[in-house]
Amino acid sequence: MYLVSWFLQRELHFSPKSVCYKDEGTAPCKRNGGKKNQPTFCGGTRQVKQPPTVKHIPFSNQTALIYFKKKLINILPKSKNGNQPEKDSDAAQSLFVGGKMSAPAATQLLDLHSARALVDSVEAFLFDCDGVIWKGDKLIDGVPETLDLLRSKGKKLVFVTNNSTKSRRQYAAKFHSLGISVSEDEIFSSSFAAAMYLKVKEFPPEKKVYVIGMEGIVKELEQAGFTAIGGPEDAEKRAEWKSNTLFEHDKSVGAVVVGLDPYVNYHKLQYATLCVRENPGCLFIATNQDAVGHMTDLQEWPGAGCMVAALRGSTEREPIVVGKPSTFMMDFLLQKFNISTSKMCMVGDRLDTDILFGQSSGCKTLLVLSGVTTETLLHSPSNQIKPDYYTTQVSDFIGFLGS
Amino acid sequence: MLSSRTVVAVASSSSFLPLSHPAAASTSASASAAAASYPFLNRRLAFSKCHTSRDHSIIPKPQRSRVMEGFKTRAAAAAPQLEDADALIDSVETFIFDCDGVIWKGDKLIDGVPETLDMLRSRGKRLVFVTNNSTKSRKQYGKKFETLGLNVNEEEIFASSFAAAAYLKSIDFPKDKKVYVIGEEGILKELDIAGIQYLGGPEDGDKKIELKPGYFLEHDKDVGAVVVGFDRYFNYYKVQYGTLCIRENPGCLFIATNRDAVTHLTDAQEWAGGGSMVGAVLGSTKQEPLVVGKPSTFMMDYLAKEFGITKSQICMVGDRLDTDILFGQNGGCKTLLVLSGVTSLSTLQSPTNSIQPDFYTNKLSDFLSLKAAAV
Repeated sequence: MYLVSWFLQRELHFSPKSVCYKDEGTAPCKRNGGKKNQPTFCGGTRQVKQPPTVKHIPFSNQTALIYFKKKLINILPKSKNGNQPEKDSDAAQSLFVGGKMSAPAATQLLDLHSARALVDSVEAFLFDCDGVIWKGDKLIDGVPETLDLLRSKGKKLVFVTNNSTKSRRQYAAKFHSLGISVSEDEIFSSSFAAAMYLKVKEFPPEKKVYVIGMEGIVKELEQAGFTAIGGPEDAEKRAEWKSNTLFEHDKSVGAVVVGLDPYVNYHKLQYATLCVRENPGCLFIATNQDAVGHMTDLQEWPGAGCMVAALRGSTEREPIVVGKPSTFMMDFLLQKFNISTSKMCMVGDRLDTDILFGQSSGCKTLLVLSGVTTETLLHSPSNQIKPDYYTTQVSDFIGFLGS
Repeated sequence: MLSSRTVVAVASSSSFLPLSHPAAASTSASASAAAASYPFLNRRLAFSKCHTSRDHSIIPKPQRSRVMEGFKTRAAAAAPQLEDADALIDSVETFIFDCDGVIWKGDKLIDGVPETLDMLRSRGKRLVFVTNNSTKSRKQYGKKFETLGLNVNEEEIFASSFAAAAYLKSIDFPKDKKVYVIGEEGILKELDIAGIQYLGGPEDGDKKIELKPGYFLEHDKDVGAVVVGFDRYFNYYKVQYGTLCIRENPGCLFIATNRDAVTHLTDAQEWAGGGSMVGAVLGSTKQEPLVVGKPSTFMMDYLAKEFGITKSQICMVGDRLDTDILFGQNGGCKTLLVLSGVTSLSTLQSPTNSIQPDFYTNKLSDFLSLKAAAV
């Protein structure tokens, strides 16, 4: 039994990740000489979510089934009447239905080979902004050169950010001011996502939207044809109460959108609470739920998660979240770029938003340690989210991809 | 949906400490799990589900009971209307009253309350007033009772502001540590009386921050606890200060006076309550607070010890199911719901409501009228 499994390990490169599924017309898998516990770099398309048909596995069904049976022993419940061959094949198939492998594969530190293979295997890079491109208003070292390098290799660049304080136009202006040339439609901010959600849901234009957030949300809503009230102009308002006065709120508000708001105050919370609780059918939309973020370069600040949780506390309702890790923005991304998500790589600094967004959509994922996540946190036993790769910062690509 | 959550466990020698929940998925983890279970569907613009999209009906779901481990709610048999007030009055020694919605509404006294309280006192009952409102101290509440013409002693009042200070005292909060307060005067005054140093409070309501390069917010490393309550001067500076203390000062406690979603600051409408401020700090620290106000039994245990009363000899009278009635049930007392506050009969009898008091009645002065009818 041990000899058989040793033989199989040599034959099959041990980890399920290294089993490759050849697509028609692509180069055959490059094996690495059968070393144990080493990754193989598949020239074919590695489809994480879709179940492969058995015939594509480049060795006999029987070998595969014996191999997977060993993995299945620990996962699937024992069948009452013993393992029938049909059941085995079903079980092998079911390993891949839903896209879950037997165990989360360990995340790899990006190195020369893997970086080159990664760049070769993707057509588009999705970048988070805070903690990846910049920290507050300060650019992270080497970013412009890296972006230029990737563009020169023919890769499409897209910027997906949960920060709703600016609209897409304002983000494009920010990029320009930092010396990076980016067009407005390469940017997908959560402020844009909120406006698009209302559009997709055919939100009636005669209804208003109350905003707890910054200009970004207000501008995107106006661009989409909706009437936005609140936002920065309510920053100076104070709530007063006396026996006979009523705190008025607009009964035609049909949705409340909550994002990061450094000018949050009681007036806004009360207004939004009344809208959500008293206007029939009022939607409660959150741009994102990030707990903290690098709003300035020197320290972390409470994120939109703070304002959203404040409203959750007073309305006792859960919001509809349009930003990462919800895959809502991916629909719009795909409309623009006709690429399979498996040919995209999500580069982010946060596990529970960026990496989860990438994984849920079927992209490859690369974690950078230049933002909120440290290596300790990544490898901590309580962390369940494993990106495909991780590296110190984006500009590491310059070193890896070389001259 | 307020499912079971992690509570910050605090080592304490005090028996008043609320027990902690079993650890459950935190907000973000449960949201992540939900997202992972909605794999990316297809490229059409048909909207793929956002995670945590819930039922958006306008009727908010009543809060699940945040019952501490080991306490059971009574079987949810429909609560009967109070008919024999005398029997109830004779069966208990002490009455605990909530204030907002039972005694007063905003600044207006509810009809018949002074006479009812006098009647109960004349029958030798002890009266205690427990409120989740942390904006005033006990002394200030005493004054409010006086202005409304009620004869109430300061010692009989237990506000959640007092509870926070009493809790810190009970765990022997070190004298050299400070408390950062996101709340109003009431908490500050009580901390003063308890001899605990504090920072923050209403004066931080005017502090502004500017998110620009090179800006750094310092925080006092000696802060050993952050107390959060209702705060009309709530702002980003306070949340950031509190978040920094909780995340960076080792062993810093996160204490909430209460988590009421809405409160009746005026009698005309509801106002966003302490649950909002506590939610904000929870959202940025991802830590569950220790709640000292209702429905946590901290105040009940405290006053039972203080006055030497048996809990089965207490009747809790309140207007809110998920704080007052749950508080009474958790403590093992009798419970009476009055409909003069936030809860209506339809909410009580709704199929989604799982908290049933022992009795319900329209208002407190029914004690007098029902008594009269029995005569």
